[in-house]
Amino acid sequence: MNDMRMTERARLMQDIKISARDVNVYYGATRAINDVSIDIRDKTVTAFIGPSGCGKSTFLRCFNRMNDTIESARVTGTIELDGRDIHAPDLDPVQLRARVGMVFQKPNPFPKSIYDNVAYGPKIHGLAASKADLDDIVERALRRAALWDESKDRLTASGTSLSGGQQQRLCIARAIATEPEVLLMDEPASALDPIATAQIEELIDELKENYCVVIVTHSMQQAARVSQRTAFFHLGDLVEYGDTGQIFTNPKNERTESYITGRIG
Amino acid sequence: MTLFAFVLLFTATVLAYLLNLRAARALRAGGARLHSLGGFHGGFAALVTLLPALVFLLAWLLLKEPAITVLLLRTLPEAEIAGLGTGERQLIISEIRTIAGGRIFGSPAEWKIEAADRLLAMRRTADYLMIALTALLAGGSMVIARRRVTPDFRARQGTEGILHGLMAFCATVAIFVTLGIVASLLFETIRFFQMVPVTDFLFGTNWEPQIPIREDQIAAEGAFGWIPVFLGTLVITVVALFIAVPVGLMSAVYLHEFASRRFRAAAKPVLEILAGVPTVVYGFFAILVVAPALRALGDMLAIPIAPNTALAAGGVMGIMLIPFISSFADDALGAVPRSLRDGALALGATPAETMTRVLFPAAIPGIVGGVLLAVSRAIGETMIVVMAAGLMAKMTLNPLDSVTTVTVQIVTLLIGDTAFDNPKTLAAFALGMMLFIVTLLINILALRIVRRYREIYD
Ligand SMILES: Nc1ncnc2c1ncn2[C@@H]1O[C@H](COP(=O)(O)OP(=O)(O)O)[C@@H](O)[C@H]1O
Ligand SMILES: [Mg+2]
Repeated sequence: MNDMRMTERARLMQDIKISARDVNVYYGATRAINDVSIDIRDKTVTAFIGPSGCGKSTFLRCFNRMNDTIESARVTGTIELDGRDIHAPDLDPVQLRARVGMVFQKPNPFPKSIYDNVAYGPKIHGLAASKADLDDIVERALRRAALWDESKDRLTASGTSLSGGQQQRLCIARAIATEPEVLLMDEPASALDPIATAQIEELIDELKENYCVVIVTHSMQQAARVSQRTAFFHLGDLVEYGDTGQIFTNPKNERTESYITGRIG
Repeated sequence: MTLFAFVLLFTATVLAYLLNLRAARALRAGGARLHSLGGFHGGFAALVTLLPALVFLLAWLLLKEPAITVLLLRTLPEAEIAGLGTGERQLIISEIRTIAGGRIFGSPAEWKIEAADRLLAMRRTADYLMIALTALLAGGSMVIARRRVTPDFRARQGTEGILHGLMAFCATVAIFVTLGIVASLLFETIRFFQMVPVTDFLFGTNWEPQIPIREDQIAAEGAFGWIPVFLGTLVITVVALFIAVPVGLMSAVYLHEFASRRFRAAAKPVLEILAGVPTVVYGFFAILVVAPALRALGDMLAIPIAPNTALAAGGVMGIMLIPFISSFADDALGAVPRSLRDGALALGATPAETMTRVLFPAAIPGIVGGVLLAVSRAIGETMIVVMAAGLMAKMTLNPLDSVTTVTVQIVTLLIGDTAFDNPKTLAAFALGMMLFIVTLLINILALRIVRRYREIYD
């Protein structure tokens, strides 16, 4: 009996990839995130939804400490990745970002070749032992990002010469080439047309087999389509967090319901 | 009188503006729907009144004295000026002018004094005529403009049309001035090449710009091969770039990416001060500080160092170019979108890796453009090298030797007694032409690179 509870707990613990407690983010004197606590599961797609300016991006950037690069931003509270505090003094944010990849709202390929874009991360982290190894990593990343067939004949072409949807898939390939454990995506499809969006969504669905994916989206349909868990933010508060189906069909909080039904936003 | 004419004109302009404005308002008050607002009617009237009369006035002022001179010459007694050359007639005219101005030296001939009186009378008439014509022109334009105040008149487009014309004129002024400069340069250069073969100039390795003072002087034949002079420019430019490019780029990278805000706030103004130092001051610095220091160093190491080394001149020129390159590189780095930086950092790159692998390569086209512009500045720089470089042209690439530059030679050729009919003086124009061509080519290349780079983003 006792044994079973222990294993159950261990299983749950293992499931939780990121755990945030009482996180506040300030830009100068203004507070953008208020006391948010959340547990994010591994091998799951978690969606952050909420009206524009409610702090979704700000909170997402806490997980790979990208807020450090914004001069006015200050983060308090604890965030643990696999049970380890990511703000611990002995933890190198550069190493952290290799484990927690990020895809941005606007595709931002480097003005380098497609190959070099994908190879950039593996090169700086020394993931490839040889040129053949690197070729292999690049090919695998491009395949997983569903870009291999379109790009295999022109790996030396500039990454900026691709279409918007292809550029975003290139950025996803670039992020997964460093073998991260977590993939953060900040409105990855908002600059794309419906077909490219559908491809990206399909891709996200496949990625959850291997990664913990957190996606910010302003489209509730998208959240419903790709995620298993949904967190609703409003004015810097985490209002409600639960299974996606429950949030959309049976929200417990009044504010969530207002947003879902289109009364705020 | 001239002042009065201008005051008159500007009063008329203001008056025309107010008149049309009131007329337009009156129309409006009368219930008409105007195509243009009253202000445009006023502006149109003001421009129509001002411009023709202003052009007339300026042309009059420009042509008044020459015209009067011609008329005055006609009135001079035939007997006195018959058989005189242009130069002598000029002398007489200026003497008459002096007398008219009230400065009489000695006792001039009676006919000259009479002529001076006539000159004064002519000037007075011309002034009255000028004011009358200006008033007529401005008044006429005013009436024409006033007539056009109707509900349908498109004063708005009319005003814009006139302003467009004005702007086009100003834009072409720059072009015509440039063309004029090039043409005069070209003209003198052609004259030079009539005396010295083009091939001698372009491929000659000997630069001794002398001309015989007496017909029978020995060894007086000058040599006009520009290669050693250009080599000097090249050596000094290379030395300057060797200092300016690394220091400028590093300081830009540091200030842009790594420096604390406080350090940046302190360092940027200093760089701007460096950019504002007059080149004469750099020249002082070169001859008073750098050159003696180099020589002392040379003595210590037992290396022979010339007093006017290319190293001293080029080194100081390099210091002058640091802020130039640094600010160009800073702009180029600033034009790299922030999203690229975030992208690299989010992949786990350190700030230094982000800079060397992503930001700097992305900014390279802009940086190359800036460096090329610096090259053309170094080639054309004059004051520092006049003060710190040598005068003797030498076929050498040794920066510890004394060299001369194209600009230094132009200055020395044109200083002092010059006659514009011998190759020694005209050689300056040929050198200037070459300088112009070289810097033009470099600038074109630089601008093309910079423009291509602008197209990548946004
Ligand atoms: N770099 C910044 N500096 C100052 N304020 C910021 C910055 N980024 C975001 N904010 C503010 O923080 C709040 C949350 O922004 P954000 O996280 O971008 O919202 P969301 O992604 O949900 O639209 C907004 O009020 C925004 O104005
Ligand atoms: Mg956002």
